[in-house]
Amino acid sequence: MFRKMIAREAKIAFWCLLPAVAFLMVFMFYPIFYVILMSFFKTNRLGNLVSYTGLGNYRFLFRRPEFWTIILRSCVWTALAVAVKTAFGLVIALSLNTDFWGRKVARSLVVIPWASSVPISAMLWQWTYNNDFGLLNHTLKTLGIWKNPPVWLAYPKPAFFANLWVDIWCGIPFMALVFLAGLQAIPTELYEAADIDGASSFAKFRFVTLPLLSGVLTVATLLSTLWTFNDFNVIYILTKGGPANSTDILITYIYKYAFQYLRFGPAASMAVITFIILLAVSIIYARAYFRERS
Amino acid sequence: MKAVVSRGKYFIYPIVVFLLLILLFPFFVMVSTAFKPLEEVYANPPHWIPREVRLQNFVDIWSKYPLGAYFRNSFIIAAGTTLLNMALCIPAAYAAARINFRSKSLVMYLFLVVQMFSPVIVIISLFKIISSLGLLDNLFALVLTNGVFTLAFSIWLLSGYFRSIPKEIEEASLIDGCSRLQSVVRVLLPVAMPGLVTTIIYTFITAWNEFMFALTFITSMEKRPLTLGLYNFIGRWTVQWHYLMAAALLALLPVVFLFLFIEKELVQGLAGGAIKG
Repeated sequence: MFRKMIAREAKIAFWCLLPAVAFLMVFMFYPIFYVILMSFFKTNRLGNLVSYTGLGNYRFLFRRPEFWTIILRSCVWTALAVAVKTAFGLVIALSLNTDFWGRKVARSLVVIPWASSVPISAMLWQWTYNNDFGLLNHTLKTLGIWKNPPVWLAYPKPAFFANLWVDIWCGIPFMALVFLAGLQAIPTELYEAADIDGASSFAKFRFVTLPLLSGVLTVATLLSTLWTFNDFNVIYILTKGGPANSTDILITYIYKYAFQYLRFGPAASMAVITFIILLAVSIIYARAYFRERS
Repeated sequence: MKAVVSRGKYFIYPIVVFLLLILLFPFFVMVSTAFKPLEEVYANPPHWIPREVRLQNFVDIWSKYPLGAYFRNSFIIAAGTTLLNMALCIPAAYAAARINFRSKSLVMYLFLVVQMFSPVIVIISLFKIISSLGLLDNLFALVLTNGVFTLAFSIWLLSGYFRSIPKEIEEASLIDGCSRLQSVVRVLLPVAMPGLVTTIIYTFITAWNEFMFALTFITSMEKRPLTLGLYNFIGRWTVQWHYLMAAALLALLPVVFLFLFIEKELVQGLAGGAIKG
């Protein structure tokens, strides 16, 4: 009887999950399977499979020096962006965790860049970066912060950092909010105990805050790594990967190969490589997540 | 100890103000440009504050560009995605929260991992699927694809919320003679309303802000959602930056407003267990 009930329950669970899982199967797992398949085929300009080439597409990619440049750039892009987002987020969270007048307003204002959509934010920045009429360089010059700021989006190096900054800027609020939530979960007694022991502010940060924040730090940086690596909108809207592919990362390059050059085969094999990288990081993330919960 | 806290208070202001200036600068640029007349937009050196406030910009963008159509399309896509997502995620989240079955943690693990993938990986195949379904240049394509990429997180968010509600309230209604479905619809869902609202707003905003699927699947002018429509201000016409900024302001306001409601739940849902400890 009890057994039967469990079986009945399992049946209900099955029917409840079926629509969602079926939907994901058709529009997520099948596409992943198909892109893997496609990566082993020659394709025509419509993306139809023409003939099996084995590792041909992969070999084609690996022989191109710019492919390695782009892999390297994707890694540098992700590492720099995540590091700066984390640092900024931590500073904001620590500031907002102290009690001051107007803290609530400050907190809501911090959220705004996260709430505004990335595509629109990128467009705002594009205008802000404008060399002749944009307010960024004007402000930097007028306030004497930077006498000769670069023409941001016109040359490879400045364009890379301009893109990077917009990605960072979009990601700061999330980091700040997660860290803030993490900080608020730390019991105040611990700080009081540290005070009684005569600990300095730095010692409190090092021996109370950091260890207790480490779970949140791990999960947030992993999640941010995935998002940063995946960032398509900022680069596509600001520079489309230009000038001369100098700001492309793997994600934008895949898109360009498929929908601009119409070379679906190599694009698919790049997608597979990206998929493997993301899968590895996702599994690490999921593990960290489940470990934190239990 | 009190003294330490209040001493800390004073040097916190310059730090917070500095950080906020950095974070809000482009919004300041947006608002300032949105109200400038054309001559002032192209003034060199540029002015921080418009010398003449031009409200006419907002009237112009509505009459000169199909902004109304963009808004309508975005709304259709976002509402459609939300409906689809809710229909799929409520039962799934219920099962995940209330029923123990074999391989449950595997399924949840899978959802979590799915949530991490970039749409770019599958867009090549999705393009083929969407075109073979005859849905290219159709808003329904965006409903489907946005639905896929919001579903996993919605299930996580909602099942977390369901789990925080004591089982006993449904059990009481079962004893009172409700069927299982009735107990969910009449008891659980009303109690879970805040969680439902969060999931709905999250899905709506994500679909409203989406750009890449629209870029790939939509070709005709009158079917563009806002993000794509605004993007095409750049390039298609010589960019009328004051118009673009005015339109961006209109596009952002409702979303930012909605977002502030659910920000706390989103943070908790995304970083999840790590925060609750």
